[in-house]
Amino acid sequence: MGLLQGATELFPVSSLGHSVIIPSLLHWSFKQSDPTFVPFLVLLHLGTAGALLVLYRSQWIEISRGFFTAAVRGSITTPAERLAMLLLTGTIPAAILGVFFETRIKSLFASAYVAAGFLVVNGVLLFAFEQLRRRAERRAALDTKPREEQELSFAQAERISFFAAAVIGACQALAFLPGISRSGVTIGGGLLAGLRHQEAARFSFLLATPTILGAGIVEVPQLFSTGVPLGEYLAAAVLSGLAAYASARFLLRYFRSGRLDPYGWYCVAAGVASLALLHFSL
Amino acid sequence: MKSSPFAIGLAVLGVVFLIVAALYALGVLQLFASTSSGPHFKHAILFAVLAVASFVAANFARPKTA
Repeated sequence: MGLLQGATELFPVSSLGHSVIIPSLLHWSFKQSDPTFVPFLVLLHLGTAGALLVLYRSQWIEISRGFFTAAVRGSITTPAERLAMLLLTGTIPAAILGVFFETRIKSLFASAYVAAGFLVVNGVLLFAFEQLRRRAERRAALDTKPREEQELSFAQAERISFFAAAVIGACQALAFLPGISRSGVTIGGGLLAGLRHQEAARFSFLLATPTILGAGIVEVPQLFSTGVPLGEYLAAAVLSGLAAYASARFLLRYFRSGRLDPYGWYCVAAGVASLALLHFSL
Repeated sequence: MKSSPFAIGLAVLGVVFLIVAALYALGVLQLFASTSSGPHFKHAILFAVLAVASFVAANFARPKTA
């Protein structure tokens, strides 16, 4: 579960969807009502957030410095300061929707059938994001140029508008539906805002860190409740962090010239296959 | 958009958010919470973040002297 969570959290394929579908398909005896299940998920998320902090450690130092400098001065002068304020803008709608709606929405849709259905929807969304990007490339007469050159014509994360950052942040609420990927919708939102694929992924990962870390830290006291096998859970968290780190490195390299299409195909195929397997109880 | 009344409004909003955060942390406020007793730290942290964002926005909206 640790490896599964860490790997799928950052890939645009929905970690929540996989963590609902795969235990059902493999007949694992995870009970989501078990009091130790939430602490388990908390530690896995802290593993992922830790991996992202390690990956972007130097950027987070600059962003933190930029945040305090810009906040005290009351104006933005450097790209790091702008990125810090963009991340704050993007985090607020996600945090509001997360605190007030996440538990209710997740409990409404926590079935393997629904997750498999939304996984297909996630795939269709990824195709739609790429179609809109291809249209933008054609408009800018970039469709005949090599992929890496096409990508360089689009913007870096620091250049998007504050409105776009808020919309991308709010889009994270879609990922409360199991099967819809948080990184998928935020990377897609970044593409629509005119970012390069790699920059959209970077913005998505940076935006995820405070949200995941915040949610994890709030739940930490639950780890010390009785009956929690802390050693095993910590091992799973380390595995989750390692998988998340490797996934993020891979994705940042892949998105230099890669697109979302392969993940769209994967989601449609995995969703349809899961629906069939669940229906025929294989 | 830089004006003193706007900046003051944002600062007041920040103070309101801080008070709401404290009330959630102390367990006095139970509005929109999943359980009806005890402190709600998620809500408290959210309103503390909103307070910080309001104060930052107020500082941005404050007219600066050259």
